[in-house]
Amino acid sequence: MKPPEKYNPAVLFVYFLILAGLVMFAADPVMTAIAFVAMNLTAIAYSRDGLGRAYVFFFIIFVLTSLANPVFSHNGVTVLLVINDNPVTLEAVLYGVMTGFMILSVLLLFRVFSTLMTSDRLLYIFGRAFPKLGLLISMTLRFVPLFGRQRRKMEDTQRTLGLYKNENAIDTIKGKLSVLSAMTTWGLENGIITADSMSARGYGTRQTRTSFSMYRFERSDALMLAIVVVCCSFIFFGIATDRLKTEFYPRIRLQPLTVYAIFAYAAYAWLAFLPVIARIRDRAVHRKVFGQD
Amino acid sequence: MEILRVEALNFEYHDGKQALRDINISLEAGEMLCVCGPTGSGKSTLLRLLKRELSPRGRKSGNIYILGRKQEELSELEAATGVGFVFQRPDMQIVTDKVWHELAFGLENIGVARNEIRRRVCEIACYFGMESWFDRSTDTLSGGQKQLLNLASVMVMQPDLLILDEPVSQLDPITAADFMATLKKLCREFGISVIAAEQRLEELIPASDRLLALEDGRITAFGETRKCVAELVNNKRFAAQMPASAKLFSALMKKDRKTEKEELWRSDIPLSVGEGRRFLREYIGKSDENAKTFEKLLRGDFAEVLRQDDIADDVPSRRESMDEDALEFREVFLKYERTGRDILNSLTFKVKKGEIFCMLGGNGAGKSTAVSAAAGLVKPYSGKIKVFGKNIRDYRGQELYRDCVALLPQDVQTVFLTDDINGRHPYDLSGGEQQFAALELVLRTNPKLLLLDEPTKGLDASLAEALKKRLRELATTGVAIVIVSHDVEFSASVADRCAFLFNGEIVSMCDSGEFFSGNFFYTTALNRINRGLRE
Amino acid sequence: MLVIKSSAIRKILRILIPFFVIPAAVLLGAYVFEDKVYAYISLVITILAIVLFISGFERRETGSRRMVIVVVMTVLAVIGRFIPIIKPVAAITVITGVFLGGESGFLVGAMTAVISNFFWGQGPWTPFQMFSWGMIGLGAGLLGRHLRKSQPLLYIYGMFAGLLFSVIMDVWTVLWYNDGFSWEPYLAAIVSAAPMTVLYAVSNVIFLALLFKPVGKKLDRIKTVYGI
Repeated sequence: MKPPEKYNPAVLFVYFLILAGLVMFAADPVMTAIAFVAMNLTAIAYSRDGLGRAYVFFFIIFVLTSLANPVFSHNGVTVLLVINDNPVTLEAVLYGVMTGFMILSVLLLFRVFSTLMTSDRLLYIFGRAFPKLGLLISMTLRFVPLFGRQRRKMEDTQRTLGLYKNENAIDTIKGKLSVLSAMTTWGLENGIITADSMSARGYGTRQTRTSFSMYRFERSDALMLAIVVVCCSFIFFGIATDRLKTEFYPRIRLQPLTVYAIFAYAAYAWLAFLPVIARIRDRAVHRKVFGQD
Repeated sequence: MEILRVEALNFEYHDGKQALRDINISLEAGEMLCVCGPTGSGKSTLLRLLKRELSPRGRKSGNIYILGRKQEELSELEAATGVGFVFQRPDMQIVTDKVWHELAFGLENIGVARNEIRRRVCEIACYFGMESWFDRSTDTLSGGQKQLLNLASVMVMQPDLLILDEPVSQLDPITAADFMATLKKLCREFGISVIAAEQRLEELIPASDRLLALEDGRITAFGETRKCVAELVNNKRFAAQMPASAKLFSALMKKDRKTEKEELWRSDIPLSVGEGRRFLREYIGKSDENAKTFEKLLRGDFAEVLRQDDIADDVPSRRESMDEDALEFREVFLKYERTGRDILNSLTFKVKKGEIFCMLGGNGAGKSTAVSAAAGLVKPYSGKIKVFGKNIRDYRGQELYRDCVALLPQDVQTVFLTDDINGRHPYDLSGGEQQFAALELVLRTNPKLLLLDEPTKGLDASLAEALKKRLRELATTGVAIVIVSHDVEFSASVADRCAFLFNGEIVSMCDSGEFFSGNFFYTTALNRINRGLRE
Repeated sequence: MLVIKSSAIRKILRILIPFFVIPAAVLLGAYVFEDKVYAYISLVITILAIVLFISGFERRETGSRRMVIVVVMTVLAVIGRFIPIIKPVAAITVITGVFLGGESGFLVGAMTAVISNFFWGQGPWTPFQMFSWGMIGLGAGLLGRHLRKSQPLLYIYGMFAGLLFSVIMDVWTVLWYNDGFSWEPYLAAIVSAAPMTVLYAVSNVIFLALLFKPVGKKLDRIKTVYGI
């Protein structure tokens, strides 16, 4: 198994898409629990920084979503208490808690998605289907840092020319807006060079441009893709035929642990933990080959 | 084989401005053509007309043949791949976000299969030595790398003719020389024809096979480089741009023209610094009289031919008023990141009122940082910067910029905040006009200390001369001027004192004349030619 | 490297995937996720709407200069999203739509969502943001002539755009959270998001008031200089 970054972006994307679908739309407490543990570990393994602050935000979301359900949903038979003639039921509370965990898992999943699915990976996938849009996105990604740098330069120059002279909030806002306006002119006027540079290199010569990328699709990618698809088909089948169904209303009825369910949960766990497993394996291999870090 | 032929080309812009009149030129495979002429002479118009996709709108007559075929008859694909075009500004002509993607961009446009793109992109990256930055974002490259990338991403389309419109005007001289060497190599190794227009011709002329001089849209001279240079060096409007060797040769040979035959003169004129040295050694060696003539020239009437040696004659009168310190750096240390290296490393210097002070140095020597620090835009972590005797930290708010310090930045487009400069849109102005418009805007703050960062970037010889005059005027009114620049010739001609900056510290500092005769690399071409040949 | 060698198989795959595999997967998904079928279907429809629009754009020819202008406007919107509290994204999208037409407006809106989310984080919300901002730009393009003439109409459109953005985002959040239709959670979501909705509407109006004329003038100039 290769480290996840080395797989073809299409494989990564399909993997994330399927996993996100399962985490987002499958309403089963066991699967939610597996996803929650797995996504936490994955986020810790792959996030670069700022995870601490994110968890504060996550906690607030969790509390809000868990509380919201019993407020709005009065289904369920086990009444815990009555507020303003509205019953608060155990089933609704538990469903709320599960939804809270599910939302946290999704947020964590997309954090990892954002780290791994870098712009050139996404461009590889969508550039093939939409080559012109792909080009637009690539151009924008090139211009964003260019504009940022030019804006700083312009701010510096204008400071020496007497912009921001009164050092109060209104003056600052006015100044920033004039810089933004001047930046618009700068970008639009100089953009003509970029446009000429595109035409000079044959842009618009052919109706369909090739969408080139350095990524390759190799045997290991095909293998991984096949395994992921087989695993998720197995789980999908289970969900569709109600073999993996937990009912919350009117009363909680957990999914009995059939052989099918055990295999399906195992497959789901394998899918969910895949990036973590890959990272651990990768570390171990590195240590073996290159010695202690 | 004839790659390009232009017959009786006339061009008129749709606003009625006649840009080109009766242009006839031709170019063989593997040849390099240098196009020169002052700003507005029609260089850019001609180059753009040669590339069909970039042809300006207007009325055109005459014919352009590419590889023996009329330009209009080429298919879109042939027009796109056959002729490559590189522009002036390295930053703005990059289209995509990744180096490999930029290389592939042209091939994607013409629908080349992916496997073929992969092969050609990797090949070209290998040829240009781009392996180590192949995966990088285009934004993280240096100016020289960006321009090399622009060249490579045109070359990947395998053109027969390569056109470059002032490709090195935004680069420092050392990077520019590297770029020129790469161009020459392309001509030699692949038989590609190159047409390049440039303001700075010191490096380009020795490398080129043919030369085209344009003036007001007409051909002044066209033909074999040496012959044309011999002609142009005596032409008032072109003499200043010619290589120093040629100017020296012309000045010396004028003295005894009777003894030399005109024809011989044309084939012997030296173009590069090396040729110039060989000529000078021979010339001085011939007789003592010759040596004396050379000395006399260097001091006296040579000045009119070589703009660099007319060291400010008003310096003595200004020296009187140079009593007050305008700017003082005392052991200034500065870095941008805590763990980074020192950009300014114990930088120490003083500039007097009414003095013009130039700082020279290579890329990353800290020149721009030094002026930014003097303008209060970046703060040193140790040392003192005094502006008119007062510590820069003690200036509150905008006090420093009110009738005190002004900065003309390297990128003058950052000066334009509104879309109206004296009734004209700033981006309707040419590069040189923008430079002067920006200078005037900066001078509106009525500064007593003027800082200029690379003020001659992209200026032609006559505009540089105009700038020199303007700065001298300012200096006589008592304004202290600090210039940081790569432009050795300009600095030599404008400055009272010069300093050489290396790794954030000044390694040599003295009066201009003394400074340039002492340096070896960072010196004018003339000084390199006569170095060690005088007693 | 793994390549499908037979061109016949490649051709069959090229037809099979868009016309059979993807619809099948969508329908299957609706069947599988029956508990959250509305959330799932609304996500799929949003994505399909975007794909449909982009496919149209892909088939037409777009000159290099128009491409660059769209990119520049997108960059402005992306940078604008870093301004704290009030965001000019919708305003810039509207301006683009009015001066450069609905297609460019849609592209600026949709691309701003994708690109800025490279910094702010991608998620299931990305398609919805693409769709809402895109539609705001498309609508501005369709109403272009009227919005150019009447300032009050422009501001009303700005407010409406803020409302639209907020409602589209809320509806999906509620659907995902609690599948099916009951009014209470919607009302609650809309009420609790009311401060944000007002903020969107107000910042749209503020930025339209500040930017519409000057930026419009620049775009008009560029259109003549570039010859679009």
